[in-house]
Amino acid sequence: MSDVHHEGDSVTLDDGEVEMATEVVSGKSAGGLPVFTPQHGALHWLGRVLVFALPLAYLLMRVFGVTGIVGGGWSNSGLGLLADAFIIAIAVMGVNLITGYTGQLSIGHSAFFAIGAYTGLVLTQGRVSTPFFGDENVWDPGWTIPVAAALCFLVGCVVGLPALRLKGIYLALTTLVFVEAVRSILKYEKFEDVTGGATGIKGDKYTPPEYVFDFFGIKLPTGLDGRADLNQWMIYLSLALLLFIMLMVSGIMRSRIGRAMVATRDNELAAEVMGVNLSVIKTVAFGLSGAITGIGGALFGLKLGLVDADVPLFGLFGAITLLVAMVVGGAAQNWGPMVGAVFYVFVNEIARSIGEAPADYEAVFTITLIVLVVVVMVVVARYVMQHRNDIRANVSNGAWKAVLVVVGSMSALVAAGVMLLGISDGGKLDGLGGVIFGVLLILFARFVPFGAVGTFRIFRSRFVQIIPKPPSESRAAKAPEGVQVQGR
Amino acid sequence: MSENLLEVRGLSAGYGQIEVLHSLDFHVADGEIVVILGANGAGKTTTMRSVSGMIQRSGDVLFDGNRIGSARPDAVLRVGISQVPQGRGTFTDLTVEDNLRAGAYSVKGSIAADIDRWYDVFPRLAERRDQRAGSLSGGEQQMLAIARAMMNRPKLLLCDEPSLGLAPIITQNLFKILGELRDEMGMALLVVEQNAGLSLQLCDRAYVLETGHIVASGTGDELLNDDTVKQAYLGGAG
Amino acid sequence: MSLFIQRMFDGLAEGSIYALLALALVVIFRSTGQLNFAQGEIGTLCAFFASTFTLSGLPVWVAILLAMAIGFLIAAFVERVVVRPIEDRNPGAVIVALIGVFLAVNQLSAMFWGVDARSLPSLFPTNADSFFRIGDAAIRWERVGIIGVLAVVVVLLFLLFNRTKIGLAMRAVANNQESSNLVGIRVGNILILGWGLAGAIGALAAVMLAPSAGLTGTLMLGPFLYASVAAVLGGLDSPVGAVVGGLLIGLLKAFLIGYVDFLSDMLFPVMLVVLLSVLLFRPAGLFGTEKVERV
Repeated sequence: MSDVHHEGDSVTLDDGEVEMATEVVSGKSAGGLPVFTPQHGALHWLGRVLVFALPLAYLLMRVFGVTGIVGGGWSNSGLGLLADAFIIAIAVMGVNLITGYTGQLSIGHSAFFAIGAYTGLVLTQGRVSTPFFGDENVWDPGWTIPVAAALCFLVGCVVGLPALRLKGIYLALTTLVFVEAVRSILKYEKFEDVTGGATGIKGDKYTPPEYVFDFFGIKLPTGLDGRADLNQWMIYLSLALLLFIMLMVSGIMRSRIGRAMVATRDNELAAEVMGVNLSVIKTVAFGLSGAITGIGGALFGLKLGLVDADVPLFGLFGAITLLVAMVVGGAAQNWGPMVGAVFYVFVNEIARSIGEAPADYEAVFTITLIVLVVVVMVVVARYVMQHRNDIRANVSNGAWKAVLVVVGSMSALVAAGVMLLGISDGGKLDGLGGVIFGVLLILFARFVPFGAVGTFRIFRSRFVQIIPKPPSESRAAKAPEGVQVQGR
Repeated sequence: MSENLLEVRGLSAGYGQIEVLHSLDFHVADGEIVVILGANGAGKTTTMRSVSGMIQRSGDVLFDGNRIGSARPDAVLRVGISQVPQGRGTFTDLTVEDNLRAGAYSVKGSIAADIDRWYDVFPRLAERRDQRAGSLSGGEQQMLAIARAMMNRPKLLLCDEPSLGLAPIITQNLFKILGELRDEMGMALLVVEQNAGLSLQLCDRAYVLETGHIVASGTGDELLNDDTVKQAYLGGAG
Repeated sequence: MSLFIQRMFDGLAEGSIYALLALALVVIFRSTGQLNFAQGEIGTLCAFFASTFTLSGLPVWVAILLAMAIGFLIAAFVERVVVRPIEDRNPGAVIVALIGVFLAVNQLSAMFWGVDARSLPSLFPTNADSFFRIGDAAIRWERVGIIGVLAVVVVLLFLLFNRTKIGLAMRAVANNQESSNLVGIRVGNILILGWGLAGAIGALAAVMLAPSAGLTGTLMLGPFLYASVAAVLGGLDSPVGAVVGGLLIGLLKAFLIGYVDFLSDMLFPVMLVVLLSVLLFRPAGLFGTEKVERV
């Protein structure tokens, strides 16, 4: 069972299936004429990029002060954030493959991210002897990406092998310990020659190539000005890789292997009876997901130009970050990781800038406190209204409970007020982003189980059915049945 | 209003959107043994669970002068109704004695005398008082389940398919015990069963439940000789 | 030899912390079948509260009791508001939500108390000369005190579970919620109580650890992982297992650091091996119950 997938719901949210159902409904009700063209294929993909990804990127650039498209200068830090978002999105694609599609909750994928990043730096810095490749063991940065993917695939298979017998909390706990274990190994002083031990590896910053390709003299220049345009190049590179991986994953999910993964998630026993080899499927899924996250890690390392085991994204909090992005975007949604990662980077940056601004928080906290008071009073009032008969008759100690609820919530409010006003002296607000993301995880797990993209699709699929007008009265009478197909 | 210990009127209940019971009316008088007979899926367990407050239901349930139509399980217990759930529902990880103690959870005051008393009635349980309930045999677990329910000193005992999964000889013994309980304690019994033969002989009155409706009722003998009941529950018209 | 004894006490004291935390995990696992990923972080937050209380002049033991009360409330709140509404839906969603609590609570302490280390006085004497000797080995009173706290908690828990009606209800609910309802136990209240109890024990573990380890937001990150491994090693549904597992992990850690030089920085890989070995070869743990029931 995956973390945010729900059985017993008539809406199936694996990529494509909602559209397919939509086609049936819309095709039938519009008098034989299909309202929607087939939903798959290159053209549709292009449409999605145009409709979905580009406006999002544009919006973000504007939000972060990047105004290159409509004139003005590019903000380098804004570009860097966007590159980060796409890189994290790639890593989240890996988590999504194993957790969203295959239903094996992993809180350990930041380990693959770290391994990928280290691979890039180790190879480009020539820290291991690789006699058959490159000059003096120093690798071309571009070629480290597939190596990182291959290495992470291997590690993923090795981890997946025992993990496939574990479920639920046991798998989650094991992957959590795995993260710390990998960090210990990367820090280990006996491996210092390769990994740099506790200090890590500091490399030259990756320089964007002058040409996209240089094939027998046919050259396509990138038009980039070397190191200065690193962020811009990383956006192109990571977005291209991200779209490629999305295409690949959506292909996998339509193949036998993908269907076996989904079957494994939905009902292991049934999947096994249907001839799915669970151990093979889980191992392959773990390997593939590790490889994808490793690609993200390699890009991250190249962009950052240095790695050490204490980089937050490589540890426990990195693992949670990937989980947040997946859950917010939507588990088992091909577009989920991109949306989730962009959201994560965006909100994290805002929270960081709020936290770092040497501001006077009194106004903010006063507002927070007022909101808290209102919320608590509404909750208490609702409780009292719902239980007023019990309270009046003191059924099952109703009156005492009401007193407890009122006193408890009031004292909690007072405590919250004291704490909130107490921190306004510091001037620096750490952890705001983390609190937001933690609360978001809790809220999404309860209220938005399909994530942003999944919810959008449900909304769209409902909306779409209203549009086709039934051509005749008899069809109008039948229309509600069509709606029922997808109604919840 | 009446001499009826339990009076159920217009009881409807279900799970989610699906209504399983459709406006049932039945009653149990003081000291009476009443059987509700029904096939799989007729709504027997749902009937039990709605009387004991385990699920949401609508309708009037009057017990001994108390309205318990919307009461929670602990309140139902306190007015004097205990339930032996389907599949016995013993606390398998707890010892036999702890099971009995848990049965008296709603009882205030000393329960030592009650425990001794049920050990007298079921000597097998006394022998195994320190064993995990999960290690008992099916029949012993059924005895334990009944003893646990009796620890609450009920005026009405609900039994949900007590014969389920037991050998015929054990079932007979069990029904004998149930009959004796009623005679000794003047307690009423409401039993749901598929086993028509035994339960109809035991009972004073019976109802037949089909797909959430009561389709027949009468004394045990009447129903034993009823052709439809014979056909449906006693294997042929013979 | 004296060094061995010293290390053994170090290991037992550290293991006592893990045992406390593992006990908290076991109490929750038995009642709801969940691993409370936020257990350690709730403890850390409570330790920060305790440090604030002592700064405002309260005696240490009062601060600790207050911190435990706060731990009780937070954990009870988490059960009622975060876990219960989704626990019937799917186990994965609960893990995600608890990871959310983990993150939110951890960052909340950073938000309120900053990232610099705070000080929390110990309940026990920590002067340079507060130790006693067994042969040549110098044993610090603080270590013995922590082991003693574990012993007291174990005894109290034993009495609670085996001698009181509430404890009987908790065991009944852990075993069969449906039947617990039928005998009149308010299952919801018992669940809240179980989580609260675990929250209080977790807070106790944190305030015991903080004086020697230094009170920062990362106080319980490592200990939580050690304690989880300990709980799995002992059997996630066995309180005895939690204590034994915690002490074993503490001893293992102390002896690895003391005697196996090349592994002293590789504790988490060792823990991963321990965890995987237990889960693959003896999933019920050392003391967990193999479910065998006759029908």
